[in-house]
Amino acid sequence: MAPSGLHFITLAEAAKLIAAKKLSPVELTETYLTRIADYDPLLNSFVTVTADRAREQARAAEAEITAAGPRSKLHGIPYCLKDIFDTAGIRTTAHSKLLAENVPARDSACGEKLTASGAVLLGKNATWEFAHGGPSWDILFPPARNPWNTDHTPAGSSSGSAAAVAAGFAPATMGSDTGGSIRGPAAANGVAGLKPTYGLVSRRGVIPNCFSHDHAGPLAWTCEDLALLLDVVAGYDPAGPGSANVPLPDYAAALTGEVKGLVIGVPWRWLEEDLPLKPATRAAFDAALAVYKALGAEIREVSLPRIRAYEDSKRVIAMVELFSIHAEDLRKRPHLFGASLRYRIIAGGLIRAEDYMLAMRARTDLARAMQNVMSGIDVLMLPTAEPAAKLEPVHPSSLFLKSSFTTAFNVGGNPALSICSGYAEDGLPFSLQIVGKLFDDAHVLRVGDAYEKATPWRERRPALVLPAPA
Amino acid sequence: MSDTSRTREEILVLAKTAGLDLPAEYFDELVDAYGHLQTMISRLPRNRARSDEPAHVFHATTFLPQEG
Repeated sequence: MAPSGLHFITLAEAAKLIAAKKLSPVELTETYLTRIADYDPLLNSFVTVTADRAREQARAAEAEITAAGPRSKLHGIPYCLKDIFDTAGIRTTAHSKLLAENVPARDSACGEKLTASGAVLLGKNATWEFAHGGPSWDILFPPARNPWNTDHTPAGSSSGSAAAVAAGFAPATMGSDTGGSIRGPAAANGVAGLKPTYGLVSRRGVIPNCFSHDHAGPLAWTCEDLALLLDVVAGYDPAGPGSANVPLPDYAAALTGEVKGLVIGVPWRWLEEDLPLKPATRAAFDAALAVYKALGAEIREVSLPRIRAYEDSKRVIAMVELFSIHAEDLRKRPHLFGASLRYRIIAGGLIRAEDYMLAMRARTDLARAMQNVMSGIDVLMLPTAEPAAKLEPVHPSSLFLKSSFTTAFNVGGNPALSICSGYAEDGLPFSLQIVGKLFDDAHVLRVGDAYEKATPWRERRPALVLPAPA
Repeated sequence: MSDTSRTREEILVLAKTAGLDLPAEYFDELVDAYGHLQTMISRLPRNRARSDEPAHVFHATTFLPQEG
């Protein structure tokens, strides 16, 4: 039986009802605020709830829509932001003691666009410290938890963002992805998360992790919802670092459902040698490919450079750039960093310029190799990650030692989507990653949307259970 | 596997050059992390052709005056 409750409405459904004046933005906002107040103590997915502002924005939206209809599909729609997106007048902490009192004067570019669209900000979501150190118990707030099983991690770094969407605290949120930080949490929480093409969504006003690999992107319950969000947040920003000046399609209109003749490449060597899949995850992936075959797609094997080559390049570049961002604080007040973040960036100051250049030259080769492979197929497919692990302290060296299926697409800059592809025996979600050609984000979303509509996975939601009163 | 070819004394000199004057427990973290970093660096392709460009070269178009 599909879960019920207004809090589980998708963005697309809410937009239609609001436009038809059958759903009040005020009622919808209040529904989420009540649910957050009641249930978020189980998950810690929010670090700041902007209740008064949300109510004010919702009332304004309702009045405007009543008078003149909605000015965008997001008019009156509640959303939240990872707490590295600047919010004018609202603290933006990056989950760090270093920024405990930080109140930006200006919204991020994404925040400005969402406000202009008439969307309603519910609050700021938990993240790993500066989107890099975590899970951490020694920083400003506790780590977020996975709503499917609160003993499990929601992954990171967009941990609170993904958990909030899965739990029905908001239909939409913005996260960031430098090595997998949208896709990993999307996978762990059974939601849809898109790392857009590098530069498609402005990073202005997003606290940086690594300039060369940072991406801002949306998380929501479905690909249709992601497309509606991307229609608002994508676009050239002259003041946005690395912002791409490219023509934009209508992402929502591109969801035609058509995937017949789609050529899907699978990097089997990655899945069988570089990072072998567990049997249940392999079975779920095979089942997902079977769905696409039944829809008329063709599956081909492709060969990419080894995962480790992508990760070595990315990690060396990242450590230099992270050190440069945090150098003064590392020199003057290293005690204010969480241990995980400090460990993961401090050695960046010792990297020689020559080695940084080696890593950057390697990136050129690796990115070209990826685009060469993509030129012969329509999309690449592979799992995003294994189902979510237990939430427990991990040695920070895990970021250097553990491999993933996500980092390579930050190196290549390609659009990469994670969607839910079923559930394991213990109820934790499986995930599917769909990667496209550069700036072909619309096609990636269409491919993901077709799968969601052909499978029943969007009908299941986590059940949050409050502890019995003492 | 971590590269432990640098001694603690050598890493201390590198840290001081980077302006890092760390208490003992943070220095232990640095030594540990540095070993992993050196392992990654050792795997990067070397012996590049002179003309092999890095991925972050300067793009003059970024600095053109904006219209409007």
